[in-house]
Amino acid sequence: MSNPLEQFVIKPIIPIEVAGVDISFTNSSLFMVLAVVVSTLIMAFCLRKRTMVPGMLQSVPESLYEFINNLLRENVGVEGLKYFPFIFTVFVFIAFGNLLGLFPYAFTFTSHLTAVGSLSLVALLFNIAVGVKNKKLGWFRTFLPRGIPLALAPLIVPIEMISFLSKPFSLTVRLVANMTVGHIMLKIIAGFVVSLGVLGIIPLLFNGAIVCFEIFISLLQAFIYTVLSCIYLGEALHEH
Amino acid sequence: MLASRVKRRLKARCLMPQLDFSVFPSQLFWLVICFMTMLFIMSRFIIPKTAEMINLRRAKIDADLEQAEEIKKHVEETLEKYKKSLAEATAKANISLQKTRDELNETVARKQEEISLRMKSEMEENEKKIDEAKDRAMKKVEEAAADLAIDVLEKLGFSGIKAKDAKNALDLVKREQL
Repeated sequence: MSNPLEQFVIKPIIPIEVAGVDISFTNSSLFMVLAVVVSTLIMAFCLRKRTMVPGMLQSVPESLYEFINNLLRENVGVEGLKYFPFIFTVFVFIAFGNLLGLFPYAFTFTSHLTAVGSLSLVALLFNIAVGVKNKKLGWFRTFLPRGIPLALAPLIVPIEMISFLSKPFSLTVRLVANMTVGHIMLKIIAGFVVSLGVLGIIPLLFNGAIVCFEIFISLLQAFIYTVLSCIYLGEALHEH
Repeated sequence: MLASRVKRRLKARCLMPQLDFSVFPSQLFWLVICFMTMLFIMSRFIIPKTAEMINLRRAKIDADLEQAEEIKKHVEETLEKYKKSLAEATAKANISLQKTRDELNETVARKQEEISLRMKSEMEENEKKIDEAKDRAMKKVEEAAADLAIDVLEKLGFSGIKAKDAKNALDLVKREQL
């Protein structure tokens, strides 16, 4: 049986190096590009014939729109609606990254700490930018909430900083762990299908069930990532 | 330099590839590019297209609801007017009915009075006529009685009795009887 972790190896497709930094186009990059292309094509296909009463296809992007809209309203408030495109893109990008990874021989870029970590980093920088833009210097109050005696600052500030910086970390680890475990399980059970011969039908059926479950997990994890991003955005916009 | 990185990456293959941080720059680079491209596509094309239809639908639903509300209001107003005019008409009809009834009662009373007056006068007239007839009949009876008395007396042999005397004698008898 081949190593179940082999599927996660990042292989360069087009080696590129700029100023000593390796920015090769890898299989991970390929699936990121695919996520963008496939999601755009699906959305465009669903929206090609728009009618007042939506058909089944048209209701897909519309339901997604309403869903993200409600998510932002509930977790951030009406003022959060201007960041709608960002949150919408986060959800679609992760959902498609997860779902595309479920195809056989596909690569799941959301199972990589570096890829999801980068996205979380982008989200963190976005949150900081939104926070600083809205509260100006008051944003630094995040690390020392109102009502805390100044004497406690040496203790509170590092704790708050760790708490702030651990948010993207927890977001990343949650998504990566879920995706990795799911794919390892699929790979191991798929190995049994081959090694058990005729009896391999049993793990095959089991694998089929797990794929259905993984589809659900893919969407659920994208949802959780988006909800938490919304909550962090809400914290960046509002007082503690 | 690139070759050494690739070597390191191949080494990491044996461990968890997720922990191979040498790919971080390329991952970050391509992620930012892909994410930004997607953000651009979504915010420029997909989201406005979706939102446009949703907003149009919402506007239409709102307009329809508003129209429905207006129609409802209009219907309520019409119903109110109808009820009002119905009440007015009923009141008018009642008044008219009462008036007719009063008129009818008055006519009946007048007619009754007229009839009773006429009947009374006719009765009086008839009574008068009866009395006259009675008087006449009594006179004739008296005359007949006088004639009869003269005849009876003449048969008894008393002659030359005047009618006037016979009448006086009969009147005397009548008074005594009374």
